[in-house]
Amino acid sequence: MKMYLRLVSALIQGVEPSDKEKKRNKIFYIVMSIIAGFGIMLPMTFFVGVIIYALTNSLSGFGTQQNGVELFLHLISAFSFIFGLNVIFSVFYFAGDIENLLPLPLRPYQIIGSKFTAALISESVMECLVIIAALAGYIIGGGMPVYSWLIAVIGTITLPIIPLVYCGILCLIVMYFTRFVKNKDTVNKITGIFTFAVIIGIVFLISQSGFDTNELIKAMSAPDNTVLAVMNCIFPHIQFLINSMELSSIWQIIIYLAINAAAVAVFMLLAQVMYFPSVIGIGQGSGAGRKGSKISIQKMRQRRPSVTYLKKEFSILFRTPAYFTNCVMINLIWPAFLYLIVVMQGQTNFLESFIYGIHSGNEETVLLFMLGVTAASVLVTAVNCIASSALTREGKHFAFIKYIPLSYITQINIKALVSIIISGSGMLIYVIAACLWLNTGIKFTLFSCLLSLLSVSFATYFGIYMDSVNPKLIWDDELNALRGNYNIFFNMAMAIVIEAVICAGSYLLFRFTGIGSITILIMLFVLIMIMNAVSYLLCDYRATKNIENMLI
Amino acid sequence: MIKFENVTKTYNKTVKALDDVSFNVKGGEIVGFIGPNGSGKTTTMKLLTGIIKPDKGKIVVNGFNIREDPIKAKESIGYIADSPDMFLRLKGTEFLQLIGDIYHVPTEDRKERIETLSEKFGLTDALSSPMMSYSHGMRQKIMVIAALLHKPPVWILDEPMVGLDPKSAFELKQLMRDHTKEGNAVFFSTHVLEVAEKLCDRVVIIKNGHILYNGTLEDLEKQNKNESLEKIFLELTEK
Repeated sequence: MKMYLRLVSALIQGVEPSDKEKKRNKIFYIVMSIIAGFGIMLPMTFFVGVIIYALTNSLSGFGTQQNGVELFLHLISAFSFIFGLNVIFSVFYFAGDIENLLPLPLRPYQIIGSKFTAALISESVMECLVIIAALAGYIIGGGMPVYSWLIAVIGTITLPIIPLVYCGILCLIVMYFTRFVKNKDTVNKITGIFTFAVIIGIVFLISQSGFDTNELIKAMSAPDNTVLAVMNCIFPHIQFLINSMELSSIWQIIIYLAINAAAVAVFMLLAQVMYFPSVIGIGQGSGAGRKGSKISIQKMRQRRPSVTYLKKEFSILFRTPAYFTNCVMINLIWPAFLYLIVVMQGQTNFLESFIYGIHSGNEETVLLFMLGVTAASVLVTAVNCIASSALTREGKHFAFIKYIPLSYITQINIKALVSIIISGSGMLIYVIAACLWLNTGIKFTLFSCLLSLLSVSFATYFGIYMDSVNPKLIWDDELNALRGNYNIFFNMAMAIVIEAVICAGSYLLFRFTGIGSITILIMLFVLIMIMNAVSYLLCDYRATKNIENMLI
Repeated sequence: MIKFENVTKTYNKTVKALDDVSFNVKGGEIVGFIGPNGSGKTTTMKLLTGIIKPDKGKIVVNGFNIREDPIKAKESIGYIADSPDMFLRLKGTEFLQLIGDIYHVPTEDRKERIETLSEKFGLTDALSSPMMSYSHGMRQKIMVIAALLHKPPVWILDEPMVGLDPKSAFELKQLMRDHTKEGNAVFFSTHVLEVAEKLCDRVVIIKNGHILYNGTLEDLEKQNKNESLEKIFLELTEK
């Protein structure tokens, strides 16, 4: 047990930024934590709590008050499973610390157990906040006794376990049966594509099921809920947690905990049998020594430094599995969820009136569309973190940036271009597709594209500036550069807050001042141009100074 | 070619890594930089290459002040860092192409230099493989080739022999000698006293951020009654 706890503690320290990095800019961390806390975490927690409270209240009339929270917890678990897959694959098989752990006299279940716990702790903070908010909404909405709060705490701590155990078991099985592939990068890419396929598969299945929000709401009020029945087969423990609160039953919580324990036991058993055969021997690739080097030397041509530097940035982004999955492929995943939301809407009045509004040139609808384009462009750029990890990704060889004869702003511009190309091209495809689908006309489409690109550009320079304040340069493997990286999270928080202010401000201006949508869109355009200039100047003056002053 | 004048560097306002350190390296000189771990060697290297900036003092490389004219100064330097594990996802040729372009090496010159240097270090066949598949020694060799690609007048090498096989170490030492014969300068750190003894025209010994000795090895040995360099070094640094 002592060994397990020590390993967990050491592994968590490997993911979190070091004390040195935290101390480097204490005020930055405090300010950003306040913004993230009050700007995102608290509102989100409050929002979830209120929704579940309202749902519990309204369903109590049908005698199915637990259905709302139960479905919500199932959804949270499903998301946790989907987004945990890639993390678990990387933590178990591709992390840099494996080479240090394997020679130690440790059993497979000890390594897997401690790695699993460390991943669970570092990945579940946000999830726990959402769970406690949902359970609190349920307890208050249902007028539950005090005992329920104790169950809620137990549930909050333990609910993220089973989805990650599923990830772990799936990961062990996939890696065991593909153990003949010894190239680490190949396996890593296969698992990334596998994760992507699982996500798209789930989205496709849901979209093809013909199930929409209207039916879901109807089903919620029915005592025999088929959706919950299916979900309870996948995550059987959740119903016992909710029953324990609903019925104030100690047996239900014991069963809930027993299911968790059994899942962990099965997982550890599989780890004991399957982990070593699949992890030992995974190498970095075939040995060096190919012929043909002379030909590639002869093919060399002098190019502008910025062109080669740009090529280097792209090569690293696309060839490093952790970056490829988290920074590049993520751009393909979110439209799938957006598509799911649209499909789940069914033929609602909102969607119909939105399409009609665009076709008829309704000012409010057009404004909403443009605000949506701006918000999505900023958020996508922040979420794919190409910009907000641009300096972090340099890691231990950050010094390279400083000793080559290329100005810092040139290097920043090249890094920005990578983000603008990837995020911007992705966004343009979706914006053009949306415009074609809505049949908006050429001017409308061009303006949407311009607004999108400017928003991406702003978010990119802002992201690089945020990263320059305190880049996480100490990491063992590439995934750790992104995981537990507060800069990425803070940048997302800032992006959300800025976009919320801009979108809400523009919309309120339209609603309450009588200013026309065209005028507001022009103002929005000018504002984004100013934001671009400010973020660029932040990089030119502050980020370059931050790089210059950085101690490596 | 290197002027390091009255340089002080303090980390986090508490740890004084270098305290009013001064030394010069003239053209045609190989200067070894030796000292125990944590003595300030890597800090000096980083200051010389512009990776960190000094609190006080002046650093001039090839006539260019590293603070006032950093790009020109950096163009004059061939630097080998203490760790060769960088850009491992790139192929050897891609890395050298990047370096060649950053330092504006003309196409024909770079082809000729890469071919010559990679032959010398036995790396030709590996150049089209990703650097991830290289051994530590091979990574060190490609860093050496990259540092020398643009024929910089000043070489600043942080532990350049680490990981090199005997033949490559011999080749590098020969290159250092040839380089200084052309009037250029080499400044390198090492823990291997024999290397310093055989290669250096002068050594700078540092401990706790202070220069303990700056001069020729012959003078050092004369001052210490012809004792071995190892013994002199230990006596100096353990005082």
